[in-house]
Amino acid sequence: MNLSVITTQFWSLAFQGLALGLIYSLVSLGYTMVYGVLRLINFANSEVFMLGTFAVLYIEINILGHPVTAKPLGGFHLVYTLVIALVGSMIACAVIAVLVELVAYRRLRARGASRLASLISAIGVSIFLMESMRMVTASRPQTAPRLLEKWTFGEVAGVNFRIDTVMAIIAPIIIFVILDQFVTRSRLGKAIRAVSMSEDNSKLMGININRVISLTFLIGGLTTGAAAFLYTTVYENTVFNVGFNMGIAAFTAAVLGGIGNLRGAFFGGLALGMMEQFASAVLGSQWKAVTVFVVLVLILLFKPNGLFGEAVQQTRT
Amino acid sequence: MNKKIVSGLAIAAATTLALGVVVTSPANAAAKKSVTLAFQGPLTGPDAQLGQDQYPGAQWAIEVYNATNPATKINLVKADSQCDGTVAANIAPGVAANKEIIGVIGTSCSGEARNSFPAYKAAGLTMVAPSASAVSLTDPKAPDRGFPVFHRVVAHDGFQAPALVRYAVKGVTGPKIYLVDDQTTYGAGLIKFAKPSATKIGVVGTDSVPRGTADWTSVASKVKAAGANVVIYGGYTAEAAKFFKALRDGGYTGILAAGDGVNTSDFPSLAGKAAEGVRLTAADVPFEKLLTAAELASFQKITGVKVPGLYSATAYNAAQVFITCIKNGALTRSAIAVCVNNTTFTGAGGSKIKFNRYGDIIGGADVGAYLVKNGTIIYDGIA
Repeated sequence: MNLSVITTQFWSLAFQGLALGLIYSLVSLGYTMVYGVLRLINFANSEVFMLGTFAVLYIEINILGHPVTAKPLGGFHLVYTLVIALVGSMIACAVIAVLVELVAYRRLRARGASRLASLISAIGVSIFLMESMRMVTASRPQTAPRLLEKWTFGEVAGVNFRIDTVMAIIAPIIIFVILDQFVTRSRLGKAIRAVSMSEDNSKLMGININRVISLTFLIGGLTTGAAAFLYTTVYENTVFNVGFNMGIAAFTAAVLGGIGNLRGAFFGGLALGMMEQFASAVLGSQWKAVTVFVVLVLILLFKPNGLFGEAVQQTRT
Repeated sequence: MNKKIVSGLAIAAATTLALGVVVTSPANAAAKKSVTLAFQGPLTGPDAQLGQDQYPGAQWAIEVYNATNPATKINLVKADSQCDGTVAANIAPGVAANKEIIGVIGTSCSGEARNSFPAYKAAGLTMVAPSASAVSLTDPKAPDRGFPVFHRVVAHDGFQAPALVRYAVKGVTGPKIYLVDDQTTYGAGLIKFAKPSATKIGVVGTDSVPRGTADWTSVASKVKAAGANVVIYGGYTAEAAKFFKALRDGGYTGILAAGDGVNTSDFPSLAGKAAEGVRLTAADVPFEKLLTAAELASFQKITGVKVPGLYSATAYNAAQVFITCIKNGALTRSAIAVCVNNTTFTGAGGSKIKFNRYGDIIGGADVGAYLVKNGTIIYDGIA
């Protein structure tokens, strides 16, 4: 127990918790979007994230030619390298997510298989992807080149405004606002919400269900890809099972906020990131997971549908 | 996603591999008498470098012996337990069930050793470990001791930990120590034995961080808030690289130190700039310092390794223990057990090895100090 950390490091911990939590939020959007329309936990999303981190490494090292020992870049060269890595990772993850849906879920759905069958097929895809990467990398952790020098804008109230942390906070907020607007305002967003409310009625209204579902996986893949980019840029490493812990965290965040609910995933991720930082600072890192899950259980006892309720889209028109 | 299922699959694959390799050996045995030893340690996985550094030491010892055209040749097979207790618990029964194997050179990690004990004790299979250094493995009072099958040719952490503290604070004025472990048999044990001598100097904080943690910033914040200027980490390379990076990026400028779990040749590349100046220890002296020029050339030729990695020397010594016994005609598991417990062996550089009742070397061994400089780990004398 180390309460003095709260007084001396409060803002610093909060800031870091914000960055970590927003990365969780992006991945949990992948879970929550799919749950919203299919009522299915897409367990393979953690492996989509894992493949995204490797895509970032592949783009930076093999395509753009920056070895692990490369010196940090500057100016336009840096911006364009990071943008290519970000966009590449988002596209890679979106394609993988859509493929996962085509291969693992669509046929099962078309034949009216139970949700449990889809769940097993999701776990199967997850294991397949993880084990494939284990073989490719011989289970060795991989390091990303430090292309972004970790310079800082300055220190305010003990908070070190480091460029990568700032980026990991701003980018998810922008992505979330765009996504939120897209789902509430656009025609396709309306279609997603309609399918989420009632698949049968949407069909009657002439909505192409399969297209909407593919679109949902695509969006989930895009946000997960962005998370993979931010993760690799901030922490500069990845390993074949990096998706496991991230998947657990993001899924927890989604449940905490209310699964199926976009805003829930966003704030659930934030809450989780903050809790992890403060728990490990005050109680010690060995208590981090314990604290998080005790809080989760307590919240679910009082609000069984999570902080923001399950699938708000249903009640909102 | 599901870790249990996944590691189960990996284990099944690993067991098949371990057995698959060995199944071929009876054919050779028919032509000429031969016995088999297993090298067990991490050959893949996040800490693979530990095992990859050691294997050539054992390989060289055995190939040199086989080249003398002895009456009984030795086959060496690999058993990959990934420095992971769970994996070890699942592959050890496979190794034990293989009657061809009469001894195990291993394990590298303490958790692997502990979880392999039940299978090897039941099978009477003798182990000689190059680097499993947790104190409890040879502690007569510990419930998880390896008696009677376990032996090691390395000084245990009861020697290494105080030496690590000594080396970490060397030349630091007003040292304030922060201790962090990784909750493994080895890491937590090392820190436990470092604590008494560190407390005398001044400990300002401790933490215990599970393996696989991605975000180390909260730990880095705590270290900074505590005003520490010496951080000692008990754990393995992959986690240490993440931790030390987070500390340096968070503006920490003091000393970073860790034990032999981090002292692997891939640490500088994984930690990048943060590796510079990191102080490491190991109960090992660089192998090349013990070899003549001709021997080193032979090592390089046979193993394809230019600079022998950490614990090549102890892996060589572990192999020598078995080789000596096999030369003396001990060709069964029970004969090996008797021989290993009762013989005085000669290790690299002429050192004498004799095991006490619980498997430690009588007289212990020196702890070496190492320093990361310009991206390579250099030997810095005795800690």
